[in-house]
Amino acid sequence: MTSAFSKAAQERIPGIIARYAEKRGALLPLLWLAQEEQGYVSEEAMKEIAGWLDLTPPQVYETVTFYTMYNRRPIGKYHIQVCRSLMCALVGTDNLLGWIHAKLGIKTGQTTPDGLFTLSQVECLGSCGTGPMMQINDDYYERLTQDKTNRVLDDVKREGKCPLATGPFMFPEPAQK
Amino acid sequence: MSVADLVKTFTFYEILVGMKATITVFIQRIILRNRKAITLQYPHEKRDLPGSYRGMIALLKYDDGVEKCVGCDLCEAACPSRVITVISAEVEGEPAKRYAKEYYMDMTRCLFCGLCVDACPVDALAMTKEYEWARYNKRDLRLDKPQLLALGDRNFPVREKKLEFQHPNVAYFNIGHKNLPHKAS
Amino acid sequence: MAEMVTILIDGKPIEVEKGTLVIEAARRIGVMIPHFCYHPKLKPDANCRMCLVEVEKMPKLQTSCSTVVAEGMVVRTNTPVVDEAHKSVLEFILANHPLDCPICDQGGRCDLQDFSHRYTPTGSQFTDTKRVYEKGFFSPLIEKEMNRCVSCLRCVRYCDEIMDVKALANAARSTMTEIVHFAGHPLDCEFCGGCVQICPVGAITSRLSMYEFRPWMMKRADTTCGYCGDGCSLILETRGEKVIEVMSSHGNGRNNGDLCAKGFFGYQYVNHEDRLTTPLVRQADGNLHPVTWDEVLPVLAERLTQIKLAHGADAIGGLISARCTNEDLYLFQKFMRLAIGSNHLDSTARYGHVNAARALRRVQGTNRWTVSYEDIVQADALLLIGTQVTAANPIVGLKVKEAVKKHGATLLTLETLVPSIETTSNITNLSALHVAVPPGRHAAAVRGLVKAAFDENLVDAALSSRAGDYVSRIRAAATALPYPEGLDEAALRAVAKAFAGARRGVILIGQDLLQAPGGHESAVNLLDFLLLLGKLTQPGWGLAPLTEENNEQGAVEMGATAEYLPGPADVGDAAARTQIAGAWKDQPPASQGMHLLEMLDAARAGTLKAMLIVGENPVRSLPLSAKAASALEKLDLLVVQELFLTETAKLADVVLPACSYAEKTGTFTNSEGFVQKVRPGLEPVGDSRPDWEILSSLSVMMGYPLEYGDAKEILKEIRAVIPGYRVLGAKPEPAQVAAKSVEQYLTRGFAEDLPARYSAGAAPKANSHRWALAVGQTLFHSGAMSTKAQGLLELQHEGKLIMNPADAQRLGIADGDRVRLTSTSGEATVPVTMLGRIPEGTLFFPESFREALAGLPSMTPDPVTGVPYCKQLRVSVDKVGTGGASSGPPPARIAGGK
Repeated sequence: MTSAFSKAAQERIPGIIARYAEKRGALLPLLWLAQEEQGYVSEEAMKEIAGWLDLTPPQVYETVTFYTMYNRRPIGKYHIQVCRSLMCALVGTDNLLGWIHAKLGIKTGQTTPDGLFTLSQVECLGSCGTGPMMQINDDYYERLTQDKTNRVLDDVKREGKCPLATGPFMFPEPAQK
Repeated sequence: MSVADLVKTFTFYEILVGMKATITVFIQRIILRNRKAITLQYPHEKRDLPGSYRGMIALLKYDDGVEKCVGCDLCEAACPSRVITVISAEVEGEPAKRYAKEYYMDMTRCLFCGLCVDACPVDALAMTKEYEWARYNKRDLRLDKPQLLALGDRNFPVREKKLEFQHPNVAYFNIGHKNLPHKAS
Repeated sequence: MAEMVTILIDGKPIEVEKGTLVIEAARRIGVMIPHFCYHPKLKPDANCRMCLVEVEKMPKLQTSCSTVVAEGMVVRTNTPVVDEAHKSVLEFILANHPLDCPICDQGGRCDLQDFSHRYTPTGSQFTDTKRVYEKGFFSPLIEKEMNRCVSCLRCVRYCDEIMDVKALANAARSTMTEIVHFAGHPLDCEFCGGCVQICPVGAITSRLSMYEFRPWMMKRADTTCGYCGDGCSLILETRGEKVIEVMSSHGNGRNNGDLCAKGFFGYQYVNHEDRLTTPLVRQADGNLHPVTWDEVLPVLAERLTQIKLAHGADAIGGLISARCTNEDLYLFQKFMRLAIGSNHLDSTARYGHVNAARALRRVQGTNRWTVSYEDIVQADALLLIGTQVTAANPIVGLKVKEAVKKHGATLLTLETLVPSIETTSNITNLSALHVAVPPGRHAAAVRGLVKAAFDENLVDAALSSRAGDYVSRIRAAATALPYPEGLDEAALRAVAKAFAGARRGVILIGQDLLQAPGGHESAVNLLDFLLLLGKLTQPGWGLAPLTEENNEQGAVEMGATAEYLPGPADVGDAAARTQIAGAWKDQPPASQGMHLLEMLDAARAGTLKAMLIVGENPVRSLPLSAKAASALEKLDLLVVQELFLTETAKLADVVLPACSYAEKTGTFTNSEGFVQKVRPGLEPVGDSRPDWEILSSLSVMMGYPLEYGDAKEILKEIRAVIPGYRVLGAKPEPAQVAAKSVEQYLTRGFAEDLPARYSAGAAPKANSHRWALAVGQTLFHSGAMSTKAQGLLELQHEGKLIMNPADAQRLGIADGDRVRLTSTSGEATVPVTMLGRIPEGTLFFPESFREALAGLPSMTPDPVTGVPYCKQLRVSVDKVGTGGASSGPPPARIAGGK
């Protein structure tokens, strides 16, 4: 049977399960693993995870639906997450969404036809002082204006990254490579 | 006892009050000789019925011709003399939508109390002003759904507009769901 | 005695056990605290917040469903603060609950409705539109309307805690919480109906009875289920001439309100349009024609009398289904023995239960369990051998689950199934030690278990000194055998050790063991095992055979078998004969009766001239090689009392319409020996009559009147004749092991068939047919009756061969493909499906659809007990065609029904 997990990922699984006193504890990390693999958590992946953890597929499904950060359908190569919490909303989340719509023609929850961008709205990303902001995959883009947004999207589309990226911020800071 | 009461006692005031109509007619008809007929030549003439008159009961439809009844059986429960029998079912083609597949009213037993009309949650029942329903065969008075709907059509030509949501606070009230598989049996 | 604490609820003092919940304590003094998520069966969840109460010295209101009583606690449930809190919670719940009671099936028995009336809220502060879920197809039998859901999660918890199925989950969060199956797929589960019963509102309802009723319209009859031997209490809810739905109330009956798919959704055969409504008689043109009772009975009585006079009473035989009531069974054997005068009678207990009953009688002196369901729940080791308990006896399965999940019992399984998590529960998933036993090898596994008892030194020292001869001879016989090939020896020894080490243990055995060659010997061997451990006579220990049909236990006890008089007592038992003759005022015949297969042989040979068959269909139940049809055709007279025109009834000269259990009064005896009432919910369908009434009228016409006013009079006689029925109470004592009988067994009885019991048996013949095929019951079907129940057909409408996915992949078979099965004697073509719980190399086929396997005849009669073994076969598998459209998920619609 074909697995939703790559060989390399499958090798990591016993280690992840061993980290927890109860098998069920490994559910969230394994779902992350599945999402890393495919960009979303597919039904096949849920069934496989259920098999490893002695759970039934509905039990895995309920966990996946509870957490908003697990995607249940395939998303674009670049996942644009726009903060919609109060601080960003006050300085223009709606404008930002409008700019993205003008540029890419997608609304919240949609993916561009070329499969590159998916737009979603999320709760506070912790950049309250620098809104409006968005996160594309792991990078933050803050204090956005229409020009800046267009430039970021162009760059990301062309090269996959943009020098305007300002994150991610971590505390404590990870050791310098 | 006050003076007013005493006067009332001596003048048989209550009796006079009770006989007000009699005395008025007596004065008008006998003393003043004002002889207007008060007998109605029924069936050539008919009385004006009061607005709250409770006649035959009818089933109503919405303006798009769909019957209002959702087959909830509440009229059957409300009826004090077991006039109503409702057999409800799922609407063919629209699973999860309820309607009265069959609806019977045995008018021989009806008291015309109107409790069923009160009970109806969707105002599908109404009391018409029809009363000329004498029949030679009492079985003819067991009305089925088409007869009751015809009564409604006849007496209430203006139909209520159908709302998809009966009330903004009531989600999905008997909307029905197309394209779902049907009930098992 | 548990420690007691005294608390004050609304000023009333009450003494309850420590650990009781406040809500439960309040209920006991008649204070009903409103609640949604609390249910006495489930662990407290306290998510609905409806049951808030004021507890003195606690700063805030407490949820009474999760607050445990403490000494001196002062609880108030009716203060303005509490009232206000209840109102507010209700307002929150009603913020989203649609006011669609008129079209909701729960209307009239809805907790939310009741509480709303109690608090009469006249308005709401919420003005937003309510949440609306997109309605989708949920399942063919269970309907879900999530708009009505109050998110109490009772269904999810029931599915997990009680059923161990975990097919329901609460997806998403907060307001939009939704009860779902996996990823929006249609529900695929055990369909026990528990979620329908436990839902406090109308969010989960039954599709079978949808919109057909209001609770106040229905007549209710408390009765007993007619499917398996678990003996569940049911409430038949009827409207007019139709069963509308089946319910079961918490705290009631042996099942405590839990049901299985058969019990909950399998009632529609009662109102099936094919039910026989008039007697049918074969007339000159060779066809069956409807006649009246007045026409048929005198003629039938005359024919029977003629045959009796011409060929003797022994030319007449009888067969009765163990699905009949005790009264039917009792009167049937009395009719056969007295009015006819023949001992040739049998019941369907012959298909397996006779094996267990004989073994139990032989060793412990009583044919009953010496344990009860409570002992199963309290046991700390449970040994399941060939039970397939979830499919065959679902409620005993629940008791086992309860023992394991709630009381931490050690579950030991010797089953064909292997652990695999699917959307129906699998008892082997819970087992601490599992030994995978291929079909037909359970008897060998049992012998291995006895050997293990010696090898692990588990033999009771007291027994060794008391019955040294017995122990040494069994030791010699058992240890001479090797451990069965293909079974895990270490695991088998571990099972024996774990079981012997328990404080209380019950062995449950089922059809895989009893309906396979060596069934009788294995049951005796297991009693040996218990004796050797020194546990048989101890309280809480015992061997519990599970029965397939609901009244097999009753059939044996009513004497509806060739070898037993009512009691059961052996036909040759002089004391019993005297006692029964006293009650009957006549001697039962002393001749040795023939059992089912012997009767068929005699019919084929022409010595049996007439047969009376009540509610059984041997043409279908026995494989073709038994040639039941040709034997029955040879009879001069075949009388069949039936619900439907079965294969056997089609051969009959006279067919008499009988009542189903929903129309009868009587009693059923479940596998643990509880005698439970059957009460009619309906008037008899058409002209049908209860079986006992037919037999009674027939006896009058034959000049040997067995007259009874009603079924209760028969029960009265049964209670006079059979000692075990004198005490009919809510809680009869479990039968006791008779010391005398054990003594006799230990000294002499064990020796008579010792070599036969401990021989290696016929090892599975290594022929070209390498697949082991087991035929058995499934969760959704049992016998032929369930295939007339529309609801169950919706779940499973055809017999599909089940194989392991790995096997299927190896053979290139997809779900829905058709395969040809070839055995040494024939072949059959069937569709295939896959389940991980079926071990590799094994195939399973549902017994209710065995017509599909008609081409694979194979039957081995038991030399001692005459049980026909026909459930294990060896076959080869070839793929013959792809399934195409039928492999998809949409359930097939079946015409007919309403």
